Amino acid sequence: MIEENVSGYKLPRFEYRKPADFDKTVQRYPVVIVGGGLAGLTLAADLSTRGIAFVLLDEDDTVGVKGASSRGIVYAQKSLEIFDRLGIYEKIAQKGVAWSVGKSLVGQNDIIYEFDAAKSSQSLQPPFLNIQQFYIEWFLVERINELKTGEIRWKSRVIDVEAAQTHSRIKVETPDGTYWLEAEWLVDCCGLASGVREKLGLETFPEKGTERWCISDIRFKKELPLERWTWVESPVNDGRAVWQHPMADGVWRIDFQMKIDSDVEYISRPDVCEERVRKLLGHNEPFELVWVGPWASRTHLLDNFKYRRVLFAGDSAHVFPPLGARGGNSGIQDADNLGWKLALVLKGQAQETLLNTYSQERRPAAIHNMDLATRSVRFLSPQGEGQRILRNAVIALAKKCDFAQAMVNTGRLSTAFSYQDSDLSIGTGESIPNLALELKNGQKRKLVDYATDSQIMLISRSREVLQPLQNKAIFKILIIGQQEPDDILDVDEKIADALGIRDGSIVILRPDLHVLARFKEFGHAQINELMHRINYVEREE
Amino acid sequence: MKTVNQLEQPDQFYDELANAHKDLDLPASADLNARLVLILANQIGSQKVLSECIALALCVPESSV
Repeated sequence: MIEENVSGYKLPRFEYRKPADFDKTVQRYPVVIVGGGLAGLTLAADLSTRGIAFVLLDEDDTVGVKGASSRGIVYAQKSLEIFDRLGIYEKIAQKGVAWSVGKSLVGQNDIIYEFDAAKSSQSLQPPFLNIQQFYIEWFLVERINELKTGEIRWKSRVIDVEAAQTHSRIKVETPDGTYWLEAEWLVDCCGLASGVREKLGLETFPEKGTERWCISDIRFKKELPLERWTWVESPVNDGRAVWQHPMADGVWRIDFQMKIDSDVEYISRPDVCEERVRKLLGHNEPFELVWVGPWASRTHLLDNFKYRRVLFAGDSAHVFPPLGARGGNSGIQDADNLGWKLALVLKGQAQETLLNTYSQERRPAAIHNMDLATRSVRFLSPQGEGQRILRNAVIALAKKCDFAQAMVNTGRLSTAFSYQDSDLSIGTGESIPNLALELKNGQKRKLVDYATDSQIMLISRSREVLQPLQNKAIFKILIIGQQEPDDILDVDEKIADALGIRDGSIVILRPDLHVLARFKEFGHAQINELMHRINYVEREE
Repeated sequence: MKTVNQLEQPDQFYDELANAHKDLDLPASADLNARLVLILANQIGSQKVLSECIALALCVPESSV
């Protein structure tokens, strides 16, 4: 790996190697992932931790698009917990900026809404952490290369795809020419303009909106609070919105809302952007433009995230307005949902039908993200005089009244979606935070430590009730108690509370830490129900 | 949502509301109404009731005035 200097960042360049496939008959791999962005790399790292072989194909030989563009910068708690499970959270925490306080402002510095997400957090990870997307991708690549269960093939562009009922065929173009390979499961993580989707004829009809933003990454020394500041109406931007976010390496993300339908070339011209930044920081403050680019609203949603044996994750399946940091985070959480299901199916422990629940769970999550992001757009860009009058009323009242502050919507930041309507869930399907655990033998654990293999976790305060399932390889049994060395201590019942089992229920957690079920009684009927839900394949064990 | 009268003093309420608008031009009146709608909505609180109120307001035709 070579590191190169791009806009003051050191960025990696990974080595292309000629695949051995050229000299063989067509090879079939358990999983082929197309696209090395957040969704594709998270899935590859996830499968690596679960010991599943895969090939990831990426067009270029570095992380990030055109290097220095920071792209997705806000990582939500659920995503950070996933990274902790994958073993890269420490690196991310060292490099990035954790934060929990957000403020919405009008005028120069009039705060009309403020939140601190740390107050209600039970997780080992902070509510949010800001870091340039390419760092996350870089750490994921390093982790994948370290675990060595699959391989990343750089400079490998997919130029044709055929989807059969039992597998897919993929044609790859490399510096050495083209070759075909086959996948039992193909996962498309190619983004909005996915060539895989196009080759399969799966249209999504993207909608172009009139929203325009100028996205800029600025390096400066001026000390500003490490918080998220969003101006609903800023005097430095002709009364339009401005975003101010810290990230790694002393770089700040400053976004400027532009007039609807603005010329994207003009609004992101460096000299035009610099003038705006000067107004924001003060005319005597030195700064450096690291990256600047326009953003124009585009949205789309795929009808089904599964087609034959092809699965779609991240922007390839859904794109929403960026308010609330839902794009990258939902791609990471798509991968988190998919990894363990693929692993169970490939290990023969669950039937293929388990993978139908992927679209069943992640498509409603995408619709939810779309709805919430669209509401923020409506608040920030009132359509027509009536809506503008309404928003002015909210701003005027927010200076005095708590209830109006609650309506100031500059982007509700993404939280884990609950899989309430899934065939897998018996109940609400919510995500459990990455709890800090202490064992009877004094060892410290995190809840994610128990989720790295693809076992479904059964957690109870009673050992006896889980006895019938203790020899089934698909389950991991965790006991809250004080008898055995690896029992989880819970003196003040905080763990039982967080798991929702203070009443003596047992909780069943999926490897993505979503609740599969809670049972008060756990007899034959409940066990049969559970086996049916997880599409369990009965084998001699 | 209730459509039977709940107001203790309907005439006085109307009078106070009309008074509030007395010296305002149309944009200022619209601003006042918007603020008032938000304040009153918070007194109601229930999303179900509010949705019904919005639907009722939308379905009363303006030409009936």
